[in-house]
Amino acid sequence: MAIMNFELDPALEAFRQEVRAAIDADLTLELKAGMQAYAGSQAEPDDALTWMRILNKRGWSVPHWPIEYGGTGWSAMQLYIFNEECCNAWAPDTCWGETQMCGPVIYTFGSDYLKEKFLPAFRRGDYYLAQGFSEPGNGSDLARLRTAARREGNIYIVNGQKIWTSSAYASKWGFFLVRTDPNVKSQAGISFLMIKLDTPGITIRRIPQLNGEADLCEVFLDNVVVPAENLIGEEGKGWTYAKFLLDHERTTSSFIFFNKRELARAKMIAQNEAQDGEPLIRNPHFRSRLLRIEAELTALEWSVLRELSHEDFKYDATAAASTLKIAGSRLQQSINELQMDMLGAKAMRAFPFDPADREDAPLWPGYAETATSRALVMRAATIYGGTLQIQKGIIAKLAFDL
Amino acid sequence: MDFNLSDLQRMLLDTAERYLAERFTLEHRRALRDTADGLDTEAWSTFAELGWLALAIPEAQGGLGGTMADIAVLGAALGYRCVALPFTSSAVIAPMILAESDAPQGGLLQAIAEGISRVALAHDEPDERYNYSAGRRTMLTDSGSGWTVTGQKMLVLDAPSATHLIVSAGGDDDFTLTLVPADAEGISSSPYPLLNGARAADIVLDEVAGGIPLARGRKARTLLANALDYGRIADAAQMVGSMEADLALCSAYLKERQQFGQPIGKFQALQHIMADMFVATHQARSILYSAIAAAEADEATRSRAVSLARINIAEAHQIVARQAIQLHGGYGITDEYEVSHHYRHQIVLEKLYGDVDFHERRLAAD
Ligand SMILES: Cc1cc2nc3c(=O)[nH]c(=O)nc-3n(C[C@H](O)[C@H](O)[C@H](O)COP(=O)(O)OP(=O)(O)OC[C@H]3O[C@@H](n4cnc5c(N)ncnc54)[C@H](O)[C@@H]3O)c2cc1C
Repeated sequence: MAIMNFELDPALEAFRQEVRAAIDADLTLELKAGMQAYAGSQAEPDDALTWMRILNKRGWSVPHWPIEYGGTGWSAMQLYIFNEECCNAWAPDTCWGETQMCGPVIYTFGSDYLKEKFLPAFRRGDYYLAQGFSEPGNGSDLARLRTAARREGNIYIVNGQKIWTSSAYASKWGFFLVRTDPNVKSQAGISFLMIKLDTPGITIRRIPQLNGEADLCEVFLDNVVVPAENLIGEEGKGWTYAKFLLDHERTTSSFIFFNKRELARAKMIAQNEAQDGEPLIRNPHFRSRLLRIEAELTALEWSVLRELSHEDFKYDATAAASTLKIAGSRLQQSINELQMDMLGAKAMRAFPFDPADREDAPLWPGYAETATSRALVMRAATIYGGTLQIQKGIIAKLAFDL
Repeated sequence: MDFNLSDLQRMLLDTAERYLAERFTLEHRRALRDTADGLDTEAWSTFAELGWLALAIPEAQGGLGGTMADIAVLGAALGYRCVALPFTSSAVIAPMILAESDAPQGGLLQAIAEGISRVALAHDEPDERYNYSAGRRTMLTDSGSGWTVTGQKMLVLDAPSATHLIVSAGGDDDFTLTLVPADAEGISSSPYPLLNGARAADIVLDEVAGGIPLARGRKARTLLANALDYGRIADAAQMVGSMEADLALCSAYLKERQQFGQPIGKFQALQHIMADMFVATHQARSILYSAIAAAEADEATRSRAVSLARINIAEAHQIVARQAIQLHGGYGITDEYEVSHHYRHQIVLEKLYGDVDFHERRLAAD
């Protein structure tokens, strides 16, 4: 039986210092300020790419990939520390579609042609990548997706519609799930296809969101011609690859670093906002909310550490991933909603989403410009990547066979 | 007790439901964002014609002398359609103050009733949080040739479309409420939109002359406290109406949206969410009635009832409006579906004139 050891390996502290110094040297003030003034959840695509390019100079843009494709060979704990340091320093996110989702699918299942075509470009941050899975009629029930790709010689002709395609308007390519065989059971007819978004027949519409942002898109595909060599792996295996992708990074969906950083921002707001001269951090109502969140977040961090250190888990591993996702998304919401609530009446103001459109507001603290917007859009955290209800269903089924 | 509507209230509600459903469509509300001051002038005239702007004005002063219950009936109908016009500020809070003031106001109440004048309350100041008892840094001074007001106000709801402001001023001992024309010399205003499309402004008053002191000292404090509690009830009614709209929108969506080959309303997990929303909304309307019942009671009784109601309704709103988005999946977070509008509208109503913390503290103090 393994012995429990709660100590962090001391060598990791030296690693943390090394990483921190490097980020400090590399992260531009502009990128940092951009993140601090950002009113959405993930970084602006342009900022994400700029940061990818900077990291790539050190060979750190895709640290978790296998070494042969540009990874660093760091351990799970080293990766954890690296990601935490980046987040704490207000570095932009990287392009998740490339680093966490499509990249791993390509290096695991893709042809040499696709590996060469995409992996170096992803690693360098050449362009942004969109994820084209969901459709208007098929969100939770993704397996019945309808966008069809008909094979004709060495091309596919794609027809259909995707929706909620994050940042599609700013992306050069997308990775799509399409139906290549209408005659077999729903999952079996699905394939994984790389599609260039400026191909004739593609129309993209940005969808205005509740927080003034328009990052989500609709992508219409009308007789779009795609070279057959853009198929990843085998025809009909797309569903398997998609499941691999969604399972691949079990702990990222906890948003642990984002949550820690936003809790720190919540505490900063609690120091600044005052009631009758007393900072909210000493106000019983808000202090209680802060401490409850801190307790939940501490539990989440240790849940993530248990996952990373490969604790033998009594239940199905996917159920563990859903646990992190549920706890993490709940915190994304409660922390940002606490920030909003601490602003009191100031939370009512709708600041423009784009910092460039915001007028000088000397009476208003800087954090008021973004807190409400983030709280609003965080409602999406229990919707994207499998809704809260779907995650609960997974736990009931996989952990308890219900 | 009789919780059924009177014949007059039934007529008021029928008219309101019919007119507001027709006028305040999602497209229309989104189009109002492009107006300079957020005001739908045509609708405001209709509000006047229908008598809604005279509801809170006593009969003796030319109004309809409606009760808090009447105002709440209309408020819920407004909330149901997410109407973010200056109803509470101009047709509830201001008339409550103006009607109780002895100062000559040049027929302002009549002009409010006719939809010609709109009055905003300028109370909040920088670096404070729901402070309705401490003195103001804004000062009212006798310049020899009349009164002047100087100070900085923040978050003056509905100021951009207002014709007049009621400005609170003076320290603990000489608290006053003063009426000033919104376009008076010395007033500079920085307007901005709120989450629900309503407008507010931060306002600098620099030796603004021509103001009419409406009330001073204890009387001014009492008028403000009364008016705010009426405003809180009117806004609570709008929140309840908005939550009731969420119930209707979501139950329809659960029947219409198909996933896994069936309407999502067939999933028991969603049925239970819908049931939780129903319970919260039902309870919210009930506690709204308890606040209405206490509206004419002494200040201590009333403020206690209002604060309890506002806490319960705020918590109900969080359940109802957030789950309404959840039930809509991705569609819920777009600006193109009703539920996100109701969420934002309810957030604004929840944060006006005191949040949960404010009401908890007010209750702890008694
Ligand atoms: C901000 C954001 C970013 C996104 N980015 C992307 C992206 O880049 N690429 C992409 O492909 N997709 C993306 N999505 C889409 C996302 O994956 C879907 O929204 C999600 O899968 C839910 O699908 P839906 O919106 O169609 O909701 P629906 O599936 O219609 O769900 C509606 C409601 O029904 C419930 N429900 C559905 N099935 C069941 C069931 N069996 N049991 C109980 N309840 C059920 C849901 O929980 C929800 O409450 C994004 C979504 C958001 C909000």
